[in-house]
Amino acid sequence: MTDLDVRKKELAKEFLPMLLKSTKWSKIWTGVLVGFILWGLIALVLQIINGHGVTGMRDNVVWGIYIINFIFFVCLSYSGAFISGVLHFFNTPWKNSVSRIIEIVTVVSLIIGPVFILLCIGRLDRLHYLFLYPRIQSPITWDVIAIITDLIGCFIYLYLTFIPDFAILRDNSIGAPRWRKKLYKFLAIGYYDTPKQRKRLHSITRIMSAMIIALAIVAYTVLAWIFSLTLQPGWNSTIFAPYFIVAGLYSGVGVIIIIMYLIRKYLKLEHYIRKVHFIGAGVILLVISLLFGYFTFSEYFARWFSHKTTDANLLDTLFNTYFWEFIFANYIGVLVPIVILFFKRFRTIKSITFAAVIAVLGLWLNRYLIVVPTLETPYIPIQDTRPEFIHYSATWIEWALSFAGIAAFVLFFMLLIRLVPIIPMSGIINYEREKKKNSKPLAQQQLP
Amino acid sequence: MKRHLLIYSIYLLCGLFLTINVLAQEPNLRDYRMRFRFKTVKLHDNSRILEAHFIAANKKDRKDRVPIYDASIAFYNVFEDGEVLLGTANTSKEGFAQITLPESHRYRVDSDGKINLKAVFSGTDGLDGKEREISIRDLYLDLDLVQVDSINTVLVSAYTLDSLGAESPLAEETDIIIAIEGMLSKMVLDEGTIEEGKYEFEMPTDLPGDMDGNITVYSTIEDHDEFGDVIQKKTEKWGVVDNHVKEETNHLWSEAAPIWMYVVLSIFLVGIWANFLYTAINLFLIKKEGKQLELETEK
Repeated sequence: MTDLDVRKKELAKEFLPMLLKSTKWSKIWTGVLVGFILWGLIALVLQIINGHGVTGMRDNVVWGIYIINFIFFVCLSYSGAFISGVLHFFNTPWKNSVSRIIEIVTVVSLIIGPVFILLCIGRLDRLHYLFLYPRIQSPITWDVIAIITDLIGCFIYLYLTFIPDFAILRDNSIGAPRWRKKLYKFLAIGYYDTPKQRKRLHSITRIMSAMIIALAIVAYTVLAWIFSLTLQPGWNSTIFAPYFIVAGLYSGVGVIIIIMYLIRKYLKLEHYIRKVHFIGAGVILLVISLLFGYFTFSEYFARWFSHKTTDANLLDTLFNTYFWEFIFANYIGVLVPIVILFFKRFRTIKSITFAAVIAVLGLWLNRYLIVVPTLETPYIPIQDTRPEFIHYSATWIEWALSFAGIAAFVLFFMLLIRLVPIIPMSGIINYEREKKKNSKPLAQQQLP
Repeated sequence: MKRHLLIYSIYLLCGLFLTINVLAQEPNLRDYRMRFRFKTVKLHDNSRILEAHFIAANKKDRKDRVPIYDASIAFYNVFEDGEVLLGTANTSKEGFAQITLPESHRYRVDSDGKINLKAVFSGTDGLDGKEREISIRDLYLDLDLVQVDSINTVLVSAYTLDSLGAESPLAEETDIIIAIEGMLSKMVLDEGTIEEGKYEFEMPTDLPGDMDGNITVYSTIEDHDEFGDVIQKKTEKWGVVDNHVKEETNHLWSEAAPIWMYVVLSIFLVGIWANFLYTAINLFLIKKEGKQLELETEK
């Protein structure tokens, strides 16, 4: 048995219990999440039976929190793909601690996000028309193509990064049930970490990581165009696509920090996810929060200064009806993370996580303020202006389905980290191998 | 450090919640100057609008103008022995109050034959009373749309009536505007001067008109010291229907997308799917190598 095999065995021994054993709390937590999902399913059945009248969406505000959740999750996924691609492509030294978290966030959020757009559709029975009679000139078609392509790309990419770990688990899963061993054998596709196989896998993963970055940017842009190519006040903006990219990265990095904190705490991985990783992620969050703040200011300043009637009406709605939401989304959600992350002395694990929570909540509200107030301030007023037609407030059905989506996200995440270790074992081995390779010539030089 | 953090947070929060509105005060009337304007417009059917505009303008900020809403304005016909109330109206949200007097209304005139009109705001506890008076002569505009030597021509004659009802052409030179009606506003075609009570204008021949080819022509005297506003209009089938069919180009609503869209999308998708295929082939090769290794190990 080589040193490498011994090391793989050690790592499998360290991480396998996390995959096999369930604690009392993890079972309770799973039960709670399933409860939320069931609650959401009841709401879904009611919505299907009674139609969209059970939601707060009406003639004016035709998009509510479903579309906001869709944008939020899809942006989360794109930012995950973007960050993961960058980490792999540039072979960032500390990628091992966070790359698996990011990859799982990317895929799970890309599964959950599009479900919300389906909840928005009144006639689901006509969904297949989108594929039978696509209009290439419609941004909705571009988005469907982009999301499907991105989803497939992300799945392939995630699988590529999982293969070496599946191989380690296939060879070292002592005490694991038979079905699990069979599953690992099937998923490892005969990978034995030979130099030839390693080179081949490394090459396709690297190409895929570069493509994932490009795909994420394209898909992000198309999502932003769904809004900005319309003439609606608040949406028709040339900087909307880069603004979406920055906003997506902001929420993505925020969610990753929160998950890093939870995993570190509850899976006791302090040895692998250390303060330096939080500080690194915190500095990235700081840079993105500055960019996001700049874009937000530019966006609203230009609208305020141009003083077009519709834009003035929109700003009036934002600063009156949505005053507190606006303050939280665009002031607190940006400035608090900046203040915490700017000063070195504030950069503790807890405060960085707190900044991330504020950023994520602010971002969700920012999405709300992009969608709802604009639809409440249309160019041409509709004839029937009943208050409930003009003003939107989400019903319990919408909240139930939103929480079910979040619960499904967490549950899928938990299930995936029961399938493969949250810290890539192959990444640790590669890191040690590289370290050894780099230190060898130095050792040889020191020899007499 | 914790104390500093707390203090910074409190400052930050206080700063965040300070908006311009926090320091805003109720407008002070002393900062405003009341502007009360009065004008009359004679319409094409010879009815007459009396219109008062009442606003408060900030003395320091020219952009700050607040219309006076719901102020009661009384309109009078003033003559040498007294005055007659013509009607009252309240100002709108934009500060306008107006009444319309029909053609049949007989105005009392002064010794010069002029109609004296007055708009009066009698004042409230907070606002002082205002009044404006204008003196005008009743001018008539006749508008004819005729063909002179096969040329579409607009003929305008302006005159006043004496006490016996005899027409007397307008002697002084007066500015006139010729315009046509558009969907949203009037389009000015010509600005000229009435001389000896007449004005003539040659109409362009390339105006499309409405769906039936009708063109409504307006002749307008605007804001004249002696006559106020006088408007006359007439419609004639002088429109030229534009039958030129434009070649269909690609639009968002056209059936086929532009070629470049198909090209870009195809390049994009072919590139990505080619890479997916390349990845799948490589995975297949990895699997094949793995199988060979397994066979060799078994041997």
